[in-house]
Amino acid sequence: MTAAPLLQVENLQMHLHLRRGVVKAVDGVSFEVHEGETLGIVGESGSGKTMTCLSILRLLPIHSDGRLDGSVKLDGEDLLQLSEEDMASRVRGPKVAMISQDPMTSLNPVYTVGDQVSGPFLYHKLVRTVREAMAAAAQGLRRVRIPSPERRLKNYPHQFSGGMRQRVVTAMAIACSPRLLIADEPTTALDVTIQVQIMNLLRSIQQDSKVGIILVTHDLSIVAGLCHRIAVMYAGRIIETGKVRDIYRNPQHPYTQALLQAIPHLGQKRSRLAAIPGQPPNLIDPPKGCRFAQRCPKRMSVCDDYPPATDLGDRHVVNCWLAAKQ
Amino acid sequence: MMGLELRDLSKHFTVRSDRGKATVRAVERVNLGIPEGQTVALVGESGCGKTTIAKLVLKLETPTSGAVTFDGKSLEEMSRKEIKDYRRQVQAVFQDPYASLNPRLTVRRIITEPILAHYKRDRATLNARVAELLEIVGLPPRAADLYPHEFSGGQRQRIAIARALALNPRIIILDEPISALDVSIRAQVLNLLMDIQEKFGLTYLLIAHDLALVEHLSTRVAVIYLGSVVETGESEQIFAAPKHPYTQALLNAVPRPDPDYVPKAAEGFDDTGSALEPPSGCKFHLRCPHAMAVCKTDNPPLIKLADGREAACHLLSGPPPAQV
Repeated sequence: MTAAPLLQVENLQMHLHLRRGVVKAVDGVSFEVHEGETLGIVGESGSGKTMTCLSILRLLPIHSDGRLDGSVKLDGEDLLQLSEEDMASRVRGPKVAMISQDPMTSLNPVYTVGDQVSGPFLYHKLVRTVREAMAAAAQGLRRVRIPSPERRLKNYPHQFSGGMRQRVVTAMAIACSPRLLIADEPTTALDVTIQVQIMNLLRSIQQDSKVGIILVTHDLSIVAGLCHRIAVMYAGRIIETGKVRDIYRNPQHPYTQALLQAIPHLGQKRSRLAAIPGQPPNLIDPPKGCRFAQRCPKRMSVCDDYPPATDLGDRHVVNCWLAAKQ
Repeated sequence: MMGLELRDLSKHFTVRSDRGKATVRAVERVNLGIPEGQTVALVGESGCGKTTIAKLVLKLETPTSGAVTFDGKSLEEMSRKEIKDYRRQVQAVFQDPYASLNPRLTVRRIITEPILAHYKRDRATLNARVAELLEIVGLPPRAADLYPHEFSGGQRQRIAIARALALNPRIIILDEPISALDVSIRAQVLNLLMDIQEKFGLTYLLIAHDLALVEHLSTRVAVIYLGSVVETGESEQIFAAPKHPYTQALLNAVPRPDPDYVPKAAEGFDDTGSALEPPSGCKFHLRCPHAMAVCKTDNPPLIKLADGREAACHLLSGPPPAQV
């Protein structure tokens, strides 16, 4: 891929100033997403994956005093330098859209689905009348394969099943044909049979529109079949990134290796799992060196310094002294 | 039979819908043995009735018909004293350790509460027991005087496990015991659950939607669809070769950490179907890729197959379908 990336995030930092201290939720994260590519961001809760996504959209938690640093370039334009008006009118929706985890809470229960799906079309003035907006909304529901969309527009969110609600949210997200779609745990709240359908839906949307997708999840199984590249986050930083096959077949960072071993997978008989001892570090006062060192079975004395990024070729990059030494 | 058994167990709820009163058949004629020392998993999608079954077993709900029996005696026929003894022997660990521990009690109080509900014990005995339980679940002795908010999710789940063990139960109900925990913490808690099962000869009734976890932890499985068991048997058999089309569809849909594996989407799987108005005949026939005419009219009984498992499907019971 020689073309300029669709999204280029460089040294992104998002620090939340809370009463008990400064939480370095995102602490120097860099990655890129190309057109038509899916990047999976994998990490456990508190690793900063959701905060990374919210930073791209400049949606900080309002109750906290947050500070954003670094650059987030979309088609070469730094989103962190734009005014709030530009973000609202030109970026959120037409360029970057987000699907959040829980389709129950991301839809307003007192408005019909038609009111909500037609919203983006009216807000971004893609249509002139409410009637046109409703027609566009019906078309949107059809794109996410909701049966009899005209009739469903008049329904309220509670009349939809969980999977159908997630389709509705997806229809809203792709309403303005965004260049980048951020899906934050889009299937976590869904049954396994429905998960596959939503994944297939995202894949077909990408094939039609060449949209770049960032898929955020804690589950390494879900992203395996859908992503082109994976970035593994731990304690506010990306510690390993690479093509999906390199990450699964040849993980280099001990945390990535441990994550792949510590989860039960289908086809495994009863046996003890290789548990990762300890807990993730506190992000108010994270360790100076490698943040996984305290839990790492291969810890060395050099791990007290933060390991440099080592490029293993083919864009497989890992921050670990084990790789740096070779 | 010793231990727990569900006999023809049904639980219906009356709800008000837009068309007047209606009946939700949450659990419909479930027969299931939970042999001592085993881990029996209830598997199914949300709304299939697995949590209602757990509530019936914990006697938090009363069956509409049928019974939960313990050592051969129905819970409904037990005297107050027998029920108290039953509750001592059947404990539970819930999904969310942030909700299941009282934030205003110290860990010591949390763990001793069940003991004090059943016995009179002096302080020294209680303290010794708390120390012992904390050691079993891998927490330091000083944890006893801290409050739940001072612990992480995994540690809280350890406290919940210590509380469940406090009365030396025979059976523990595990309702999604690790799904609220961080990925890197799950294995620790899973290993602990396996260790204490071995150490104390516990029987587990596991409720989980994560099939990989179920395969990992359970010895027997009951697959539930809209309140009824559609397939049950030894875990290994079912995961190796599922016989019921629903079990097959469930297992096919599970993603794997393998970029070359593509989970199969079951066609037509949208709404689970509703326990409010279950379809006629086999409840699964609307979503079943092998549905035949008979499936629309007759509900297949659960029959025993040659390998000892049971399944409810016309493909397995009647004569093989005529070749076309």
